[in-house]
Amino acid sequence: MNDINVSGEVHEPASGDAAGSYEVTVVPADTDASAAPRSNAAVRRRPAGDEAVIDDRLSRATALLRQHTDAGWKAIEDNVVARALTLFRPSTPVRGRHDIGDFFLAADVIVARLRRRIDEIPAAAAQKIACTTDDRDELELVTIQLIAAYRAPLLEVAGHVHAAAMDVLGDLLGALAPATDRVRTHVHIGDVSNDPRVVI
Amino acid sequence: MPDEVLARHAGLGDKEAFAHLARRHGPALYRYVLRLLSDPADAEDCVQEVMLAAWKGLPSFRNDSSIRTWLLVLGRNQAQKLSQRQRPPFPRSGSRPTLDFDAAVAQVRDLRADPESDTIEGRLQIALDAALLLLPERQRSVWILREVEDLSYAEIASVVGLTPTAVRGLLQRARTAIAASLQEWR
Repeated sequence: MNDINVSGEVHEPASGDAAGSYEVTVVPADTDASAAPRSNAAVRRRPAGDEAVIDDRLSRATALLRQHTDAGWKAIEDNVVARALTLFRPSTPVRGRHDIGDFFLAADVIVARLRRRIDEIPAAAAQKIACTTDDRDELELVTIQLIAAYRAPLLEVAGHVHAAAMDVLGDLLGALAPATDRVRTHVHIGDVSNDPRVVI
Repeated sequence: MPDEVLARHAGLGDKEAFAHLARRHGPALYRYVLRLLSDPADAEDCVQEVMLAAWKGLPSFRNDSSIRTWLLVLGRNQAQKLSQRQRPPFPRSGSRPTLDFDAAVAQVRDLRADPESDTIEGRLQIALDAALLLLPERQRSVWILREVEDLSYAEIASVVGLTPTAVRGLLQRARTAIAASLQEWR
């Protein structure tokens, strides 16, 4: 039995403390000040002028660090991103069939294609997509959780998603794509959103 | 595009969305782990491992925290793993610093092959890094996450695995210790 469950939710719119006359210099201790060696717990007087200078120095240094992008990151950024683009996740194999025989696709490929297609549908965005296969690695179930736009006609949206999913699965899996008359659609409404960045 | 949308897309296999997240949060992640590990090569390894873990983990990311906080949690965990292989590892809580301030400045300068380090701003930044180097890891983490990355106490608590009250205490101690170190800077 090949099922596609379309469930989902409609998403809600997002819409110098050391200052003082005395300074205590201690060996850094995370949680228990008394754990610091006493010899390092020297108390000394610090003139107010010095304090202002140090506060200013610390503020400047902190601001510099906040604005600073380390040369090391600049050097590895492209490499990190390029590696990210070649990464893959462990993924269930899904059997497809074309004219010259069977082949296997990673479920992640199906999920990514479904996500792209569903996000093109007005008032809908994919939130979670899961594929379940049987013991022959044939697609048994696709569960699509949706975010729908506020006031969107939900059954209509679900119908569009269902049709788009059938289309994508037919493209990817050929003769082993689930037949339309064997597909069930479940719609679950969880929340609403009118944030165009979340769902258009 | 907001982080939550990019994270959702990346969780569903969109690699470009993941690349956006990596470029957006990579600088802060690198800045943080470099100051935990001190060594640029270790920081690079750490960031690579974190990004790999993030890619694998995004399908199950539940938006319980922001993406940035989540990446910083992964960064700290990975830095601790790397640190355990180093000699010496992170200073333990309550331990004496193994360096004095001038030695820390020299060490940081040696590790940074940055032409800007000869300017006054560059030297001030090295002094701050040296002051951070003298702190135990949790104080260092708390100070960076609050003062540089502007995380809330609750977010910092989730990164370092403490309560917000403990974070507040650590931050106070870190500020005092850094001010004392910078007093020595000329």
